[in-house]
Amino acid sequence: MIHRECGVLKTTYEADMGLYPLPIAKWTVGIIAGLFFAVIPLTLHEYYLSIANLVWIAVIGALGLNILVGYTGQVSIGHGAFMSVGAYTAANLATRLDSPWPVNLLAGGLMAAAVGAVVGIPSLRIKGLYLAIATLAGQLIIEWTINHVTFISGGVQASIEVPRPRLGSMVLSSQRDMYYFLLVFVVLAIVGTMNLVRSRVGRAFIAIRDQDIAAEIIGIDIFRYKLLAFAISSFYAGMTGVLYTYFLGIANYEQFQIGVSIDYLAMIIIGGLGSVLGSIFGAIFVTLLPIVIRLSMEAFGGMFLPQQVVLNLIPNLRLMMFGALIVFFLIVEPDGLNRLWRNIRSYFRIWPFAY
Amino acid sequence: MSDDFGFFLLLMSNGLLIGLMYGLIALGFVLVYKATDAVNFAQGEFVMIAGILVAAALGVWKAPLWLAAGLGIAAMIGFGFALERTTLRKLIGRPVIAVVMATIGLASILRGIGPTAFGAGSRPLPLPIPDEPIVVGPLFIPPIQLVGGLVSLMFLGGFGWFFVKSRKGIAMRAVADNQQVAMAMGINVQRYFGLAWAMTGMVSALGGIIWGNIIGVDVNLSLVGFKVFPVVILGGLDSIPGAVIGGLIVGLVENIAAGYVDPYVGGGTKDFAPYVLMILALMIRPYGIFGKKIIERV
Amino acid sequence: MRHFGIGLLAALVAVMGALGALSPAAAQQEIVIGLQCDRTGPTQIVGTVLCPGFHDYIALVNSKGGVEGHKLRALEIDHEYKVPPAVESYERHKKEGAVTMAIYGTPQIYALAAKLTEDKIPGTSPGFGSAAAADGIRYPYIFPIAATYWSQGTAAVDFVKKQLGGSLKGKKIAFIFYDNPAGREPIEVLEDLAVIEGFQFKMFAVPPPGVEMGAQILDIAQRFRADFVIGHLFGGAPAVSIKEFKRVGYPLKKVVSFVWGSAEANIDAAGGFAVAEGYYTMQFAGVGSDYPVLNEIREMYKKEGKPAPKEMASTVYYNRGVLIAALHVEAIRNALKAKKDGKITGADVKAGFEKISNFTLGGLVPPLKVTPTDHEGGGLVQIWQVKGGKFEKVTDWYSAYTDVVAKHIKQAASK
Repeated sequence: MIHRECGVLKTTYEADMGLYPLPIAKWTVGIIAGLFFAVIPLTLHEYYLSIANLVWIAVIGALGLNILVGYTGQVSIGHGAFMSVGAYTAANLATRLDSPWPVNLLAGGLMAAAVGAVVGIPSLRIKGLYLAIATLAGQLIIEWTINHVTFISGGVQASIEVPRPRLGSMVLSSQRDMYYFLLVFVVLAIVGTMNLVRSRVGRAFIAIRDQDIAAEIIGIDIFRYKLLAFAISSFYAGMTGVLYTYFLGIANYEQFQIGVSIDYLAMIIIGGLGSVLGSIFGAIFVTLLPIVIRLSMEAFGGMFLPQQVVLNLIPNLRLMMFGALIVFFLIVEPDGLNRLWRNIRSYFRIWPFAY
Repeated sequence: MSDDFGFFLLLMSNGLLIGLMYGLIALGFVLVYKATDAVNFAQGEFVMIAGILVAAALGVWKAPLWLAAGLGIAAMIGFGFALERTTLRKLIGRPVIAVVMATIGLASILRGIGPTAFGAGSRPLPLPIPDEPIVVGPLFIPPIQLVGGLVSLMFLGGFGWFFVKSRKGIAMRAVADNQQVAMAMGINVQRYFGLAWAMTGMVSALGGIIWGNIIGVDVNLSLVGFKVFPVVILGGLDSIPGAVIGGLIVGLVENIAAGYVDPYVGGGTKDFAPYVLMILALMIRPYGIFGKKIIERV
Repeated sequence: MRHFGIGLLAALVAVMGALGALSPAAAQQEIVIGLQCDRTGPTQIVGTVLCPGFHDYIALVNSKGGVEGHKLRALEIDHEYKVPPAVESYERHKKEGAVTMAIYGTPQIYALAAKLTEDKIPGTSPGFGSAAAADGIRYPYIFPIAATYWSQGTAAVDFVKKQLGGSLKGKKIAFIFYDNPAGREPIEVLEDLAVIEGFQFKMFAVPPPGVEMGAQILDIAQRFRADFVIGHLFGGAPAVSIKEFKRVGYPLKKVVSFVWGSAEANIDAAGGFAVAEGYYTMQFAGVGSDYPVLNEIREMYKKEGKPAPKEMASTVYYNRGVLIAALHVEAIRNALKAKKDGKITGADVKAGFEKISNFTLGGLVPPLKVTPTDHEGGGLVQIWQVKGGKFEKVTDWYSAYTDVVAKHIKQAASK
């Protein structure tokens, strides 16, 4: 019934290569866009919007990490550090030079990209787990630098307050304003990533992931593309860091420590390596999970256990469930939520027939 | 300047002994990797759980030391077996990152279980080892470090012999080298995987006892697991002597950084100095000092 | 196809609207306090005892009929000492209508300072950062209400001065601290005092998580040979430091610790009171079980037929929880007295905080005096020593070098 390709004819190559060539795809995207642009922000309470904002920020970061880990196959545990580079660059520019937020955003991203390329240099020689630990070293060194170099960190406290972004005369301060602000960048990031992986650069990345020696033999300069992957991924991370700083109103390196890097890795693995939709699913899942666990424990826990035990249990339960779900996904569906979604989709594609 | 030299000797001895103890934890990591090609990001949490079990046995159930230690070791061996049977067996053949994430998830679970089952407070792990340092000239040697270093060397020697000379050890190396051929030769691959994880459990138990005595048993005990990485990367992921040498180097570098670099830069270099050294070493020898080079074919 | 799409959109709008309508639970007659806690993060040794203390005091007040007839509700959210969950918990508390918040953690108070001021909700940050927030004009909605790290620093130096015979000239003081913003906060004040009093001051950073500090302690004991050590560690690190000092043979009676390394829990983790004999600790709340309010809490549990919770035995952190709760309650009480209709907002509670003076809760709380310009209340601390198996009081409430602290606050405000 929902067989998608029936009756769809294209007459030019460009039309056929479009992102959404099928009418049902266009409709779906339209509905989802309507939902996120109009329905959600106008009806939900500010608290839920603040959660949505956290999700948007995570989506951008997850997309960036997936470019590096999912599409190029270079495992990196340094994502948090690149975010902090972007955050502090923007914060310093905002407070020292009073520059407007577009400049800060771009500068933060570019600075993070540069640092990311430097951290990616060992990828020339090192592979696999060894490279992952080398990026971990990068994370620690960057953290230490920001912590100790007061020029960057703005003093002993190592946190810099940034003024709210201004759009003309409007100051963006409520969660609803933030929501629209972030949504624009999320859309840009998603569209950008989707186009990146369809392009020549994206194909080079995938070739490096699959068979890097063969890729080198057929003429892809793997060192250059590896560095490019690190740089682009760090650009996304830097943007995430800047947006997060604007969301909070303050840049603080303790928000970008190794736990964050591991969270983002969890997002893309649970979501599905090497897919845009997977990054989005993963980001939503990992961000919402602790909140959902807490809400449900608060609602139901009181029925079984005294309050103090519940309070002690909730955060530990969150840790346990987080870990259990990761392990569960890895055992049951190693390709992540994305594969799950595709299975559902292909089921409906030929429904009600079986094959 | 003999005072300064005395201090230097102190730092060296401290570094070497602590390095041996890092090697003990790294040994657990290397054992698993050598036998099953699985990367265990939860090594620190293993040590923590072992420490919690033994500390609880000593403190809550008031068991004598030999019983508590034996209980801890037995429990961890059982834990290793159980873990391999239930979770890790299903992940054989998956890419590196899947196993890494699985162990990270496992680490998260263990970090949650510890405080839930045993309470969040920090416990001491008293051992019948005196606290006062042994004074040898300008050197202060805490007895616990000496014991830890000895235990570490013992295990390293023991496992080294095991892998080279004993039948089971050679079988395990065969399994690590090429699973399918090993199976074809009649080696029960799954049983050896279980054995590898059990050995890791045992090593973690001892690590938990010793480190628990040094830094107290609570959630933070799992953080010694982070020290494992520069040690195994420097030494080579699948090399047992590499775990010793890597541990010694990391211990020395940390103490030198803390003693001589920190005062100039305001502190904190101690934690990442080993990582810097590690990167430099990797650029020269990408598989660690003693690691096995992986030959890739197209 | 078109109908399908529109129908779907309509259904979704309906669902979202219903969800949106689930927004703020109107707190009828009930006053909500937002409590942040760390029960699973690096300072869980504190949170798992402090937060029950908070809850117990609130329960006690409610059992006596509440504040001016209004019941209180303390809504606790654990943030693992991370900032994103702290921000999310702030929004959640705001949604539930909290009129005052007990923030926990130095990075958290820095992250939330701007939001608290924008939303006009007072937040307390007792015994941790930011020290500059004592300035009530610059930070109208942040209330340290207990000795900040600057005041703790000056009090420690004063104590050391008394211990070393009245003069610090030429003496060597080592400062061992956690290498993060919270740990570094007192340094500027300590360096200032080093110049004023003429002592040699050396810092020894311990990178978090502080599980291994052998080299630093060797340095303090053997190379620098400090005459006294001021410790500023938290989480599991204080216990490790006690053990390390013993291992190198440095006497613990030459060590004084800031407020977060000074509890029974830290001593227990180090191996017990016998091991830590001589260790000096700084407190901003009374220590021990001998206070009327604690007896009342025990009575309350007895009436319900339950044994007193085991957290009460860990008196240092538990009493701090009681102290924080008590100060929030007093601020709410002042706010309710000023507004008879009972509909108080954050701004009212802020004014209520600024009226607190002479509230000592039987000696558990120092005689703070909170004013619109001084949100710290005087920076009062006590020193207790580990002696003979328990804590023994060494000094009464005191503060020192308040002029130096004031100078730094002014400097911070002008930035």
